[in-house]
Amino acid sequence: MATETSASTEAPAASGGLPQFDFQWWPGQIAWVLVIFVVLLAFMRLFAVPKLGGTIAAREAKISGDVAQARALKEEADAQAEAAAAERAQARAAAQKLAGDARKAARAGIDQALAVEEARLAEAAATADATINAARDRAMANVAGIARDTASAIVAKLTGKAASAAELAQAKG
Amino acid sequence: MAQQPAIDPMHQFLIHKIVEIPPVNLGGFMLDLSITNSILTLIIGAGVVMAFLALTARGQIVPNRAQAAAEALYGIIDTTLVTPIIGPGGRPYIPFIFTLFMLILTLNLMSVVLALGNIGGLEWTFTVTAQLAVTATLAVITFFSVFILGFIKHGPKFLGIFWVPGMGVIGGILMVFIEMISYFVRPVTLAMRLFGNMLGGHVVMSLFGSFVVGLGIFALSGGLATLGWLGSGLSLTMIVALTGLELVVAILQAFVFAALTTVYLNEVVNFGHGH
Amino acid sequence: MDVLSAKMIGSGLAAIGMAGAGVGLGVLFGNYLQAAIRNPSAAASQQTMLFLGMALTETMGLFAFVVSLLLRFG
Repeated sequence: MATETSASTEAPAASGGLPQFDFQWWPGQIAWVLVIFVVLLAFMRLFAVPKLGGTIAAREAKISGDVAQARALKEEADAQAEAAAAERAQARAAAQKLAGDARKAARAGIDQALAVEEARLAEAAATADATINAARDRAMANVAGIARDTASAIVAKLTGKAASAAELAQAKG
Repeated sequence: MAQQPAIDPMHQFLIHKIVEIPPVNLGGFMLDLSITNSILTLIIGAGVVMAFLALTARGQIVPNRAQAAAEALYGIIDTTLVTPIIGPGGRPYIPFIFTLFMLILTLNLMSVVLALGNIGGLEWTFTVTAQLAVTATLAVITFFSVFILGFIKHGPKFLGIFWVPGMGVIGGILMVFIEMISYFVRPVTLAMRLFGNMLGGHVVMSLFGSFVVGLGIFALSGGLATLGWLGSGLSLTMIVALTGLELVVAILQAFVFAALTTVYLNEVVNFGHGH
Repeated sequence: MDVLSAKMIGSGLAAIGMAGAGVGLGVLFGNYLQAAIRNPSAAASQQTMLFLGMALTETMGLFAFVVSLLLRFG
């Protein structure tokens, strides 16, 4: 093993062995590692881990809180939208009902007017028909007399003698 | 050792005193608390950890980059290790695991990032985690903290972790010995893993570093030796690649130390639930 | 054979032990990758276990490495 003073200057080839197994340095290193480990552990426990872990936890809490708040707002907005849609549907139904009533009323008025007009027209038509029928009947009655006169005139002219009324009625048939 | 001229990868692990402090007498044992290069680096590393966390942990809801980095480091312990492995019962032990993680991570990274200075014989930094005394102390602290915590929480019933159910009486007694060996070898593996990784990485880097210089000097002699430039350049490339690998190892070993501590703590905290 | 030569040879022989760790790490990462390709969604959740297994496997190789170094420089 190298002595304390020669360890830094002499080549280890002269002393031999892995430097790690030079046991004169072990107690000092072990003691210092223990001290530094305890100091570092205290630092971690009292400062670093609470701060880092706390920050991460706070961030997660904030994010989930914000998300929950956003979700609540969204639900509220959804409810409002639903209410608005319901209101709109109700208004539309009312408007449709109103329009339907108006249309029905208008239709009823039109129907009534139509019926009155039709009745009037039908009456007028019936009157006209009756007038026409009377005129025709009268005309037809005249036609028979004229035909008889014409026929007797033709017979008289052709035969030279007047035909009797009975013969004329039979010929007319 | 016979002639070891320029190539001496172990030189970087040599300890020497920087500040002499008179030894403390502990009942006949002289405890030498002198500040060596190892202890100085250890103190600087702890100081860096504390300064970093004190400056970055501002407690703002909206973090800036530095605070986000500190919280990411904390998140490795909290959300990657403790919460999935132990569960909510592990929260009180986060400071302990976080301390181990940050200390080892800082010392590892310091040793790798600043290690290039050591290749040329300068001493910018010192690989504290390649000192078996340091890693063994950390491992023993971890192991006995967990072991004693088990007895505090569960009393003598905690010895039940050595009992494997369903093996019968004779098989069970046999298994108790095996379980005890595998349990008490834990601090050894914990210390050896960190020590071996850091030691190995730095030895290899140092070897390639000396190849760069050694082959370069050899190539200066001219003739066929000019080919030495090729080896020198290749070694330089290897150092660059190895530095990247060592950065990964430095972070991974700190993580693994913390992860194993978490797993050991899990056996204590959830004792009786898992069996 | 003097003691120094025997130590050097022993150091080299001890380094062979690291081959086992190499095989172990290959099996570990190979199987992880195979499982991760079959079910990529479950891969991320098992990464911690992967690194734990890696650490435990690697330790076995490191024992051989440290023994080798002890023989070489010790």
